Amino acid sequence: MHPILGSARRLAFYLLAWVLIGLLLSAGLGFGRGGDWVTAVLFFVPLGVVYALITQSAWYVCRIFPLVRSRGWHVASAQILAAVFASGIWVAAAGAWARTLAAMGVDAAGSMYDPQRPLLFVVGALLFWLVSVFFYLLIAFDASKDAERANVELTLLAREAELKALRAQIDPHFIFNSLHSISALTATDPPAARRMCLLLADFLRETLRLGGNEQIPLAEELALADRYLAIEQVRLGARLNVARDADSSAASCLVPPLLLQPLVENAVTHGIAQLVEGGTIRVAATCSGSTLTITLENPCDPDRARTRGVGLGLELLRKRLTNHFGAVDAVYAQEREGHFRVEVRIPAVTGAHA
Amino acid sequence: MMTEDLLRVIVVDDEALARTLLRELLGAHADIEIIAECGNGFEAVKAVTEKKPDLILLDIQMPKLDGFDVLELIGTDVPVIFVTAYDQYAIKAFQVHAVDYLLKPFGAERLADALARARARIGAREPLPAKALVSEARAARSPLERILIRDKADVHVIPVAKIDYFESQDDYVSLKVGDKTLLKEQTLSELEQLLDPGRFVRIHRRYLLNVARLAKIEQSVTDSRVAVLQDGTEIPISRSGYAKLREIL
Repeated sequence: MHPILGSARRLAFYLLAWVLIGLLLSAGLGFGRGGDWVTAVLFFVPLGVVYALITQSAWYVCRIFPLVRSRGWHVASAQILAAVFASGIWVAAAGAWARTLAAMGVDAAGSMYDPQRPLLFVVGALLFWLVSVFFYLLIAFDASKDAERANVELTLLAREAELKALRAQIDPHFIFNSLHSISALTATDPPAARRMCLLLADFLRETLRLGGNEQIPLAEELALADRYLAIEQVRLGARLNVARDADSSAASCLVPPLLLQPLVENAVTHGIAQLVEGGTIRVAATCSGSTLTITLENPCDPDRARTRGVGLGLELLRKRLTNHFGAVDAVYAQEREGHFRVEVRIPAVTGAHA
Repeated sequence: MMTEDLLRVIVVDDEALARTLLRELLGAHADIEIIAECGNGFEAVKAVTEKKPDLILLDIQMPKLDGFDVLELIGTDVPVIFVTAYDQYAIKAFQVHAVDYLLKPFGAERLADALARARARIGAREPLPAKALVSEARAARSPLERILIRDKADVHVIPVAKIDYFESQDDYVSLKVGDKTLLKEQTLSELEQLLDPGRFVRIHRRYLLNVARLAKIEQSVTDSRVAVLQDGTEIPISRSGYAKLREIL
């Protein structure tokens, strides 16, 4: 769509600008050249408005020969040709207008036209190119606005994809095993079966809810981990012990959602569940100065069979934290003599809950 | 009227609740007797060796020795019904080899179906394709990190880093671990496929060497070469074995 002719408001502004150009032409080419002010204005302002409409054709020239994708000499020759045509038409219109004015008794109009024909032609070409420059700028501005919009859309898409991935992270193995435990408990211990059902429902609901936030207090993340571990304790029994130690200033720090969850899941599936005798998972969080430190420790079997894809969770977390906090190496993982420890260090952010 | 033969079953699952459920569900089958319940793979191999069951209900995900490790160790000795919650590779392996398996959570009907099919297999004396199943399920794993050896009722787990070299002995492979020699029922070529080719090199038709143990290569009087290990042991190197070694070193 034409950027000027397509909108009445813009057309009005544009014509107003050309009235001003007409006045300038009156001052430069009319006044003092055998005519008075009134004649100059009478001659040049209508010509300005007429040329305003003629030069709209520059838009199509600019569209057909965009600066970024066309060869230089294509653009130059098209613009020269178009300017010659436009200016020629304009000069012809000026001649007709001068004759009309003369017929109406304004004789001085002819003296503004006849001797200045070549000059008018040059001015017309220059003005045409001025309009072309204006349209090229407009195109560039639109392109940058489009790029910006596309960028925003892309960011939104990426965020959506991340959230989807987070939700999909709920380990199917965990769900099916939990259901199997509930099935086992229904006959032997119905109240425990019901408790487990509710725990599982709470955990799933919270995972979906937290995943929708930009950031959440660490306390909520810890509460989610508690629910998860409570469910796994039903399944693994005495093999799984949990020790938790988070100071209150750390608990109120804001973190990206589901930051801790994959680490806790790793600690259970690749740590405790791989040990015949089980062990203790230690979760600690401290806040000192401007840094929030979350550590997770668990015993592990150094000779366990490693499946592909292990370490993917840590890699994903690293990427998420880099996206969130900029280029910081926030995740330190270390395995030594049957002991796994992962430490996450991120800027301590507090504030109203988003 | 003839009663069906009593089926003597071993239940293997590391989760107590899962064993409880199986006990409850199997209790409804008068023709089945649970002769052992095992909480891990070691107990399972021991129970299989000592009690010679007719059927095992074997969970896949277990610590130290998983279901496939147990299968590798007991081989085709006993019919198995596999149990898993969610393991794409395992399920694919079961489907490829048309093996009975139960997906957790399962109920009485599914279990009854699986038992009926197992009975049919036992009647037909159909052997379990244990080797193919294990290698199929292992395809998802990174190179072998440990070697499992069954010594009657006991299981030894040997990290590959501790092994100096493997030597082919017909259908067996002997492992040199320091001054000990262990035997495993597997061919050298199979092992070579499973181990990290950057760490274990077939330097000879009969030898697979842990490259970390190599001290030097000596040219003997004739055209052949000899690998000298850190403890002074000498192993022959074939011409193609030498080429492979040079590629890595």
